[in-house]
This record gives sequence, structure tokens and C-alpha cells, in this order.
Amino acid sequence: MDINRANEQADEQLAAAVREQSAIADKIVPPETKAWGVALAGWLVPGLGHALQKMWGRAVVVFLTVGLFVFAGASMRGNLFTVQGSDAFDALGYLADLGTGSFYLLARTLERNGADVSRAGGDYGTRFLATAGVLNLLAALHAYEAARGRKA
Amino acid sequence: MSLHGGFHFTHIQAFLFFAAVISVAFGFLGRRQPKDRIKYILWSFCLFLIVGVGIGWLMYPFSH
Repeated sequence: MDINRANEQADEQLAAAVREQSAIADKIVPPETKAWGVALAGWLVPGLGHALQKMWGRAVVVFLTVGLFVFAGASMRGNLFTVQGSDAFDALGYLADLGTGSFYLLARTLERNGADVSRAGGDYGTRFLATAGVLNLLAALHAYEAARGRKA
Repeated sequence: MSLHGGFHFTHIQAFLFFAAVISVAFGFLGRRQPKDRIKYILWSFCLFLIVGVGIGWLMYPFSH
């Protein structure tokens, strides 16, 4: 009986210490700043935003799905938009492609022969690249919401 | 599909690839429990197929 009571007291003390430490950590790095950092990390490296919060399953899935779309899109010679776009659609495409973060550079490296949208495959590749970017932005937003403590 | 030199999809393969990958991503982001995830993935995949094929048939008269 006494042992149980001592264990309960020890648990309460431990929980209080964790709460105190968490409050100190929140003062050093405010939760909002931390959430923005998580979102930025998630955008730069797909899945990193979730990995930082120990959401391993989601991190792996985001990394693999975004990576798969980028690899497929680039190897199908999809159009990877650049900042030198001539119209609004090019600008939107560039924003979508930029959503992949560091994978944008990877796609540029993979696509050595340039885009070829004269075939259906190249056109599908363009959509895959844009989808990868938008999906990664969605995942970064999800990681941001989770870091803010919202149900995610 | 061939992995030699990258992906080479037919129309239907590209469609199925897109539906499958997006469904898995949505399932993991939208649900927490494994059982819920699987149900969501299957449901989302089926909806992609139904809507995609449906839109294809809606466009069919304009291709002639």
C-alpha cells in the first residue's frame, strides 16, 4: 500500500517537473515560433515537419509520396517551371513546383534533357510535379497545425 | 510502366498511379487509426476512379 502511494507521489512529482520544464521551454522558444519552424522544415524537406514531432508514419509517407511524384514527373520529362515565366499560368506552375522545397532542385538535376510536353507522358509529368508541390505544402500546413496543438 | 530510364506510363497507368499515391497521402494525413486509414485510402481511391472515369465519359461526345 505504502509502495503504491510512494509510486503515485513520484509520478505526480515527475509530471510536475515535466510541466515546469515545458513551460520554461515555451518561454525560450514560443510555440508559435516553433510551429513556423516546423512548417518551414516540412516545406524544405518533405516529411521533416512531421518527423520533428515524432510522427514517423506520416513523415515517411509524405517523404515517399512527394519523392515519388517528383521522380515520376521529372523522369517523364514534365515541365518544371522557372521564375522566367511568361504568363500567370507559368507563375502559378512555378509556385506549385516550388512547394516541393529542396526536391525542386532534385527535379532539376534529374531532368537533364529538359521538358518534353509534346507527348502525353510529358504533360502528365508536369501535373505530377505540380501535385508533389501542392501535396508538400498541404503536409507542411498539417505539421504546422499539429505543432500548434490543434487536432491533426 | 518501365523503370529503365524512368517512368513510362500509359494513360490508365498514370491515372491509377496518381489516384493510389494521393489516396495513401490523404489517408495518412487525414486519419490516425490504422483501420480508419485503410478505409479512407480505399474509399478515396474508389472515388478517384469513379470520378475520373465519369469525367472521361462526359468528355467523350466532344472528342467526335
